[in-house]
Amino acid sequence: MAGAVRVRGLVKDFGPRRVLAGLDLDVAGGEFVALLGRSGCGKSTLLRVLAGLDRDVEGTFAVPERVSVAFQQPRLLPWRRVWRNVSLGLRGVDGRVVAERALAEVRLADHADAWPSTLSGGEAQRVSLARALVREPELLLLDEPFGALDALTRLAMHHLVARLWREHRPAVLFVTHDVDEALLLADRVVVLAEGRIVAEHHVDLPRPRRRASFADLRSQVLSNLGVDDVEAA
Amino acid sequence: MSVSTAGVVVRPESTAPARAPAPQRRKWPDLTRWLSPLGLVLLWQAASSSGVLPPDKLASPLTVFRSAYELVLDGQLVDAFLVSSSRVAVGFALGATVGGALGLASGLSRWGERLLDPPVQMLRTLPHLGLIPLFILWFGIGEEPKLALVAAGVAFPLYLNLHAGIRQTDPALLEAARVLGYSRFERVAHVVLPSAVPQTLVGLRIALGTAWLSLIVGEQVNADAGIGYLINNAREFLRTDVVVVGLLVYALLGLTTDALVRALERRVLRWRAR
Repeated sequence: MAGAVRVRGLVKDFGPRRVLAGLDLDVAGGEFVALLGRSGCGKSTLLRVLAGLDRDVEGTFAVPERVSVAFQQPRLLPWRRVWRNVSLGLRGVDGRVVAERALAEVRLADHADAWPSTLSGGEAQRVSLARALVREPELLLLDEPFGALDALTRLAMHHLVARLWREHRPAVLFVTHDVDEALLLADRVVVLAEGRIVAEHHVDLPRPRRRASFADLRSQVLSNLGVDDVEAA
Repeated sequence: MSVSTAGVVVRPESTAPARAPAPQRRKWPDLTRWLSPLGLVLLWQAASSSGVLPPDKLASPLTVFRSAYELVLDGQLVDAFLVSSSRVAVGFALGATVGGALGLASGLSRWGERLLDPPVQMLRTLPHLGLIPLFILWFGIGEEPKLALVAAGVAFPLYLNLHAGIRQTDPALLEAARVLGYSRFERVAHVVLPSAVPQTLVGLRIALGTAWLSLIVGEQVNADAGIGYLINNAREFLRTDVVVVGLLVYALLGLTTDALVRALERRVLRWRAR
């Protein structure tokens, strides 16, 4: 498959602070890449640049035509019913039909006519995923989409994202600071520090994965992040 | 998110977390709250009956009630009501058109804001009721100054709240809309304008309140019809009962329009968590 993302020498400054310092990154079509790093390492900035939300950068990058984003907050329009939130912005299709199909995929078909304010955090985030996927993206950018969810909802969301990725096969760039989450889901884990890639690991484990299967890799990634893994020691 | 920018009233209902509506156990409103108002009316009647309160200062409640009945029967009150209501309606339509258009222009376009906002902000510091002398000089003493006064009272609060409502649009939502490929029209229609609605409705309520106030003041100027005329006429003949009837009608009209806006709010803002 053709490359989905190609980033070369990306530099981004916020005033005197260099957030991205000449970053290179490739993501293959259909590849699931997790981007790990401490807060302030530039991972969210990279995502915003790729999403086209931040154009004031140096260096080059290429992304496919259809890019979708799911943010940490669901960012649904509170004044549009759930199905309209999913279908708004789509052209040349029957929005209702398409939205209902996408909502069924995230198991929210019966919430199509609900107002976003009546959804739980996990439900709203699933709507946000449906809204991202309904555009049939070649590249799906996930910006800590489970960061604000409780632990149990997170587990359910991991399964959901894994299934959706398997069925739709977009390239995924998944920003998180949760090592387990990254190792459970991704083909490749990229560790970012001070605007640069400092480590990279291919996760060649069969799916669905168990936490026990990647204990070694986990402590490696944690040490990349500058954390001593006491459990593995 | 409920607090607005300076100079504009805070939203009336903040967004509460979703929860089931409280079970309505009480079928009857709390009647004890009516005790003291009723007592005051009785006291007023007693003062009038005993002669402590002479009718040329303030007529008794019974007389007021009787005059209201007579004014309704002979059609005077209905005529006055219709004249005053249509003045508010026309003045409101004028003011809402101007205030709405200016608010949209300066809310949706940077250049609109640069050019329109400074003069409007300067003008709004003028107490608009103080413009009567100018309006009389410009428009004479007919209908026009009354309509202009109502329109001025409506245009400013509507402009301010519409403009503030548009400016308060959550940037995170706009960003999401951009990423999802909404056209500029879709961003305005589905993100910006709906998010300005709550604040605009606050402006609408203030505007209607000001509209009635402006009408009352405007109708003091050489009115030859309407509730203000009824009141001024009654003053000439020391008919305090009719004056009070006129005031009550004003109050009732204000309450009615406010209730209408609230009904509109419930309908338009039904997406809010109840």
